[in-house]
Amino acid sequence: MSETKPEKSVPFYPDHVTLEAKVALGMGILVVIAGIIGLFMPVGLGAPADPMDTPAHIKPEWYFLSLYQLLQYIPQTVGATAPVVAVLIVLIWPFLDQKPDTTKKPFRIRSWFSLITVLIIIALTIWGKVS
Amino acid sequence: MKTAYRTILIVLISVGFILFSAAAVHAYTAAEPVSSINPEGNDLLQVVPPAPEKDTCIQCHLDGSYSNIWTPLIRWVVFGGAGVLFLFGVARSISVWNTRTEWIPIPTRILKWLDDRYQISDFLKPILSKPVPDWQRRWWYCLGGLTVFLFLVQGITGIMLAFYYKPTPAEAYASIQFIENEVLLGSAVRMIHHWSANGMIVMACADMLRVFIMGAYKPPRELNWVSGVVLLIMTLAFGFTGYLLPWDQRAYWATTVGTEIAGAIPVIGDLALIFLRGGWNITSLTLSRFFALHILILPLITVTTMAMHFIMVRKQGVMKPL
Repeated sequence: MSETKPEKSVPFYPDHVTLEAKVALGMGILVVIAGIIGLFMPVGLGAPADPMDTPAHIKPEWYFLSLYQLLQYIPQTVGATAPVVAVLIVLIWPFLDQKPDTTKKPFRIRSWFSLITVLIIIALTIWGKVS
Repeated sequence: MKTAYRTILIVLISVGFILFSAAAVHAYTAAEPVSSINPEGNDLLQVVPPAPEKDTCIQCHLDGSYSNIWTPLIRWVVFGGAGVLFLFGVARSISVWNTRTEWIPIPTRILKWLDDRYQISDFLKPILSKPVPDWQRRWWYCLGGLTVFLFLVQGITGIMLAFYYKPTPAEAYASIQFIENEVLLGSAVRMIHHWSANGMIVMACADMLRVFIMGAYKPPRELNWVSGVVLLIMTLAFGFTGYLLPWDQRAYWATTVGTEIAGAIPVIGDLALIFLRGGWNITSLTLSRFFALHILILPLITVTTMAMHFIMVRKQGVMKPL
C-alpha cells in the first residue's frame, strides 16, 4: 500500500464526528417525515386473520417477493433448497475467494455480477408485484 | 479561610433555595387543591378518571389559576430551573471573585472529576484522536452506520409499540387498532417502525453489496463478512417475524406461505416447519413464538453480532480500495 507518502486525513473528533452527525441527522429527518405521514395516513390493517378463508392473492413483503415469484416456476423442493444453499455459499464466500486484488479486473467482474444480480432481483420483484 | 467562607456561603444559599422553592410549590399547591375526580365522593365505581380538559395556558399552572396532573412537574421545572441558573451564577461569581482565575465550565469540572477517578480519557483518546483519511469520507462508507442508526430507531419505536401490543390471536388485531387510533402519536410510531424496517433492509443489502464489489471480504476480513451476513439474515428474520404480529389476513397467509416454503426443504423441512409454527398449524403458539423471537431472541443475537462486527472493523480498519 501507500505507506511511503502520508495520506491526507482529518481528525476523527471533531471533524469526522460532525460529518457523521450530519448524515444521522438527515436520516433522522426522513424518519420524522415518515412519522408525520403516519399521523395522517396510518399503515393500516387488513381484515382480521381468518384461517377458514384463504384470500385469492397471497403475496409476501417486497424483500421476499422475488424469491416467491421464482418459486412459482420451479419445483418446490429445488426452490426451497436453492436459497439455503445460496445463503451458505454467501456465508463462506471469503473462504472460497481469497486471492488479494492486484488489478482492477476482479473489481469490474464483481461490479457487473452484482449489477446483474440486483437487476434480476428487481425484475422478479416487479414481476411478482404486477402478476 | 477563604475556602471555608465560600463553602458556608454556598451551603447557605443552596439550603435557602431548596426551602424557598419547596415553600413556593407547597403554597401554590395548597392554595388551590386539584379538583377531585369525584366531587360527591359517593360514586366509588368510577375508577377511571375522566379525560383531562384541554390545557389553557402554561403560565396558568404557575399562578395557580389552572391545574391538572402536569402542574407539579411544570412548577418544579420552572422554579427549579430558575433556581439552578441562580445557583450557577452565584457559584461562578464567588469563584471568580475569590480565586481571580479563569472560570472552568461545570461540564469540564464534572468530566475532570470523573477522569481523575476512572481515567476515561486513557480509553477515549486513542479512539477520538485516530485520523480519518480523506478517501474514507465517502457516502458509501456510511451505509453500515445508517443501518445501525435505523436499528436504534427500530429498538426505540419497537419498545414503544410493545407497551400496547398484546401477542394473542384474540387481542393482537384490536391492540394494533388501539395503537393506531387511540394512543398519542401511535400511528406515527407504527409508521416509523414500518418504514425503518424497510430502510434497514435496503441499507444492509447496500452495505453488503459495497463490501462485495470492493472485495473488502478478503483476508484478513473473512469473519467481518460472515458476521455481516449473519446480521443481514437477522434483519430479514426480523421482517418475517414482525409481519405476523398484526394478525390480519395478509399477515396470517404470508406466514402460512413462508413457513410452507421452509417446510419444503428436504430432510429438515418438517422440523423447520414445526419449529417455526409450534405445531402443524399456525395458532396462538406461533404468534407467541414469533413475538418472542421478534422482541427477545433476535435483538439479543443482533446486538451481540453487531458488537463483534464493530470490534473487528475497528481493529482492522476500513479496507483501502485499489
